[in-house]
Amino acid sequence: MVTTSTSPASSKPSPVRLSDMRPRFEPYVIDCGEIPAFQFKGRLRDLLAARQITAAEAVAILEDMLIIREFEEMIVKLRSGAYTPLPDFNYRGPTHVSIGQEGCAVGACAPLTIRDKITSTHRGHGESLAKGTVAIRAMTEAQLRQRVPHSRATTREQLIEEALEEHLYRTICELFGKDDGYCRGRGGSMHIADFTVGHLGANAIVGGGTPIATGAAMALRYLREDAVVCCFAGDGAFSNGVALESLNWATQQQFTNHYAGDHRFGLPIIFLVINNHYGMTHRTDDEVTGIERIARRAAGFADNNMHAEVVNGMDVLAVRDAVQRAMRLCKAGQGPVFLDVDCYRYFGHSLSDPRVEYRTKEEEAAWRAVDPIETFKAQLREAGVLDEAGIAAIEERVRERNARAAKRAAAAADPAPQDVLKFMYTDTRCDTVPAEFAKVEILQPLTDLKRVNGQLTYKDAIREALYEEMARDRRVIFYGEDVADYGGAFKVTKGLLEAFGRERVFNTPISEACICGTAVGAAMVGLRPVVELMYFDFALMSSDQISNQAAKWHYMSGAQTEVPLVYRVSAGAGKGYGGQHSQTLEAMFCHIPGLYVVYPATPADAKGLLKSAIRDNNPVLFIESQGLYGMKGPVPEGDYLVPIGVANVLREGSDLTFVAWGPVVHDCLKAAEKLKADRGVSCEVIDLRSLVPLDLETVLRSVQKTGRCVVASQAVHIGSYTGEIASAIQEAVFDYLDAPVKRVGAKNGIAPQSHVLEAAFLPSIQDLVDAATAIL
Amino acid sequence: MPNPIIMPKFGQMTEESAIVEWRKKEGERVAKGDVLFTVETDKSVMEAESFFDGVLLKIVVPPGVNVPVQSVVGWIGEPGEAIPETPPPPRPAAKPATATAVAGAAAAARAPVAETPTVIVPAAVTAQTPSAPARFRISPRARRLARECGIDPTKITGSGPGGRITERDVRAYLMAHDYDRLRITPAAKALAIREGIDVLSLRKDGERVTVADVERAIAEKPKPLSRMRQVIAQRLLQSKLTQPHFYVTVSVDMTELIAYRNGLKASGLPYTITDFISMAVVRTLQEFPTVNSSTDGKTVRWYSHVNLGLAVSIEGGLVVPVIHQAEMLTLREICDRSKQLAEKARAGKLTPDEMSGGTFTISNMGMLNVENFAAIINPGEGGILAVASTQKQPVVRDDQIVIRQMMKMTLSVDHRLVDGALAAQFLNSIKQKLEDLDLWKTMT
Ligand SMILES: Cc1ncc(C[n+]2csc(CCOP(=O)(O)OP(=O)(O)O)c2C)c(N)n1
Ligand SMILES: [Mg+2]
Repeated sequence: MVTTSTSPASSKPSPVRLSDMRPRFEPYVIDCGEIPAFQFKGRLRDLLAARQITAAEAVAILEDMLIIREFEEMIVKLRSGAYTPLPDFNYRGPTHVSIGQEGCAVGACAPLTIRDKITSTHRGHGESLAKGTVAIRAMTEAQLRQRVPHSRATTREQLIEEALEEHLYRTICELFGKDDGYCRGRGGSMHIADFTVGHLGANAIVGGGTPIATGAAMALRYLREDAVVCCFAGDGAFSNGVALESLNWATQQQFTNHYAGDHRFGLPIIFLVINNHYGMTHRTDDEVTGIERIARRAAGFADNNMHAEVVNGMDVLAVRDAVQRAMRLCKAGQGPVFLDVDCYRYFGHSLSDPRVEYRTKEEEAAWRAVDPIETFKAQLREAGVLDEAGIAAIEERVRERNARAAKRAAAAADPAPQDVLKFMYTDTRCDTVPAEFAKVEILQPLTDLKRVNGQLTYKDAIREALYEEMARDRRVIFYGEDVADYGGAFKVTKGLLEAFGRERVFNTPISEACICGTAVGAAMVGLRPVVELMYFDFALMSSDQISNQAAKWHYMSGAQTEVPLVYRVSAGAGKGYGGQHSQTLEAMFCHIPGLYVVYPATPADAKGLLKSAIRDNNPVLFIESQGLYGMKGPVPEGDYLVPIGVANVLREGSDLTFVAWGPVVHDCLKAAEKLKADRGVSCEVIDLRSLVPLDLETVLRSVQKTGRCVVASQAVHIGSYTGEIASAIQEAVFDYLDAPVKRVGAKNGIAPQSHVLEAAFLPSIQDLVDAATAIL
Repeated sequence: MPNPIIMPKFGQMTEESAIVEWRKKEGERVAKGDVLFTVETDKSVMEAESFFDGVLLKIVVPPGVNVPVQSVVGWIGEPGEAIPETPPPPRPAAKPATATAVAGAAAAARAPVAETPTVIVPAAVTAQTPSAPARFRISPRARRLARECGIDPTKITGSGPGGRITERDVRAYLMAHDYDRLRITPAAKALAIREGIDVLSLRKDGERVTVADVERAIAEKPKPLSRMRQVIAQRLLQSKLTQPHFYVTVSVDMTELIAYRNGLKASGLPYTITDFISMAVVRTLQEFPTVNSSTDGKTVRWYSHVNLGLAVSIEGGLVVPVIHQAEMLTLREICDRSKQLAEKARAGKLTPDEMSGGTFTISNMGMLNVENFAAIINPGEGGILAVASTQKQPVVRDDQIVIRQMMKMTLSVDHRLVDGALAAQFLNSIKQKLEDLDLWKTMT
């Protein structure tokens, strides 16, 4: 608890920063500097001589590239029944093959260690394979034995060989949707991940992985880990907002300037653009952007141009060299680094793309002529590392290994159909904080929580919960727009910066997608972020990160990772802020499996649920009501938890049940009072508190008793979650209903600014009384 | 790609049919010609055969559901073949509620406008409940309570919105009917609830209601008529309501024809008395086209063919197979066709076409020992001849009382078409033929 885990208030200076800038209008020019391109001229022969690489490393690089090509060619052949080891196998799934890009994948992964992380793309077989093979080759015997526990191998070479085959087997299994796949057949080609070697997942949302990588880098920075993130993304991805937001996010000066205090350390992340010049079928350069080289983007995000370079992706050694240098920069706190790696995709976007509509055969031939594998073979021969026979032997080994793995994978068990929902949610929570994170430095305790007669406001209840949880667990960090010095638009988090410092409480760019997406990456790497969206409406800016990333990764990874984070979103309404600041959008997110959604209506629940949400290992959307921030109510001191998924019967009654959440709960209580006084009707009022998971049992038990039900929320009627509850009631206890279930919500419209209109728009106590009366 | 199984169109006029029973299960192998399912038309149960070899992959339309003819009811193919999405069977074209005959040309010119799609605005979701025909309203909770108590909820007056019966209405009703004081054995109550017998209707003064009481009530409970009886009921009522009947009776001396027929029978010929009657009727109808006709009250149709219906009683009802174009047939052909149709009728194998299109019908109860009876005209026909049993009777011949084999025939005719004199002539013409042995000798 707070007092036991804190160190005495330190004498450190306050982290609050007061800006003190002056107008400056002297004429000058902005110098955008230079971005080097294709500077690497190293030959293998020379690198060997200079001991910048060993012969064994060079051979491994060739083999890793061959592994990828063999794997991708297997997919091509499977599509037409031409893969002889599996003549009859019917592969159904994506075919985004990366043949031609092996130099990028292997060159980039070769310098990475098992502690370094990557994120990858829909065309990510290469990175996925290379991250594994490189990690395996560097593993200790104990680590290897963990990967192949039943091995009877006696030498390290044999163990590595078996681990490599197992790696292929599990990758192919995932491709084939088998239970032995890395993601237990839940992810497949486009979502493959192997968290044990730092592969945080391929991503089928173009650009979707960039904020995850950025968040992972934030976590590495925060945890002082000697590791980097390599964020692979296509040239097409850098037209997408979230990828550009990620660059902006990663280069924030507050990580490196006086805001960072004594931890001035740039994010250790390499944005590696696999620039194959095409986004699906359009030319990224030349057609849909205004720049010839993606590298130029870097100049817009950091005064150091993010150390950007253009690298020859058809030369595996050039990529390796660039990534090695980028890692050095990152580890020295000079990150992030932006690498524009020039390469080519020989096949189409997928195998259904014949390419002829948009490019010439001559273009393809010219790129095939500088094939990364063939050119590297030539270097190996030139350097005398391998002769023709040696190369052939490796090719043979790769082919056979792949065939063995593929045959095993084809014969492997499918996941059990009854397990279709397995891994949707984790049932774990953080009940005890590991000792290394339990020691928390508090710079300046919160002193202004005014508890009067045991009562706090809803807003202060949230503040207290956050404060207590941050004091309990150093992995809990908190960020959002203007949440630090200013304490948030609604002053909910005032004082947290002062208490925990800027490393744990900081302002972010106005970048909702990154606020939500970086939290996913940080959670994957071991933090427990709480992030704030100023208005619920803005969640739509980050809906991909909330819905496709946070919600899905536990399932899509086959439970390899948990995503313990909390999205605090603040719902407006009733303040005349109009259509873009007044929405109650819980239904949209309740519709997304994988998320928890809670919405407290009282100060006590606000505290208890937030603390539970922070300790839960599922992603939780925590909805706060601006209308309730000022409401006072009893709030227990100290470790007060309200379990997620348990509704609260606020008032007992026998004639009718009100089921509600959010501010409408209080209107229901008033309506119940009025119905009692005017008509002698006895109403029960249930505050759901948790929408997902839903405590349907409490609702059904009540409706079985009363036979009548009104479900109410502040959301507009159409598609509201009230419909879900009403339909669940009639499905389950139809025979107990004495009247149709009624729903009350806002009108089917857009929140107007006019006070008069908004009053007509929002549900009122009278609406609730009327709905009840209509069915009595 | 699998082959669709189509709901056959068994009769010219059939628009919708329902499957009675699937004779094959999903997954079962089917050979071309196997019976796949049976269909109830309004005249009988028909068998539908497969046109394909293969496996019954999917049953799309379950038994008991009326679908338009020619819609897909299932699929036959090889295991594993993907079944195309079956579009929901089109609703039978809606008949315009009011006649649109007026200004047909103008209506046609305006037609495209009517097809402009209606824009559905979300507001529709909260719109008023669409008006629907008034129906018995009871809340599920009240229904459940009524069911548990074994009472008939339709007798309860509802006090809820729109007159809906709610739980409190059921409780008030129970109180008003002294439900508490009803004495009934648990077994009797359970049986009554299962069979939908209102336990309050079983109340006996002071005595306990037993299973025997419930069983009595069950026996008396109205049950639905069979489909066939419903059709019979509807058609006969239609006839009686729209075709004003009148009746004429004659006695026919069958002595000689019976003797003659017995002689034929002894020499191995198949003729029955009915065949002679049929032939006599066919011939007579040709002489009296007014009788071989029908009317809708405004127009009259004289049929150029004689399609002779023969009422055949079968298990649970009555069917009327039709000998089409009977005037083209010889006596022998009429004999054979009658026998064949009667057999098919008793086997339930008549096709709808074999049961429709009649212009006049004979109903023969000669085997059933009746002196005389009058029949109801099949709707759309001009008349029906009711043939009673032949009985030995004392009759006067040449001022002598002699014993003759006498048979009464009663003609029912539609008075809108036929008057008394004509009916008398028509009937006597039949009688004459039956008594004229020379006529029959030319035919046999
Ligand atoms: C958000 C999003 N938009 C569109 C797509 C469809 N899509 C899949 S891959 C792709 C092209 C991506 O181009 P790039 O990032 O250059 O990667 P590459 O395919 O060249 O490897 C597109 C448009 C998607 N998956 N996600
Ligand atoms: Mg591309």
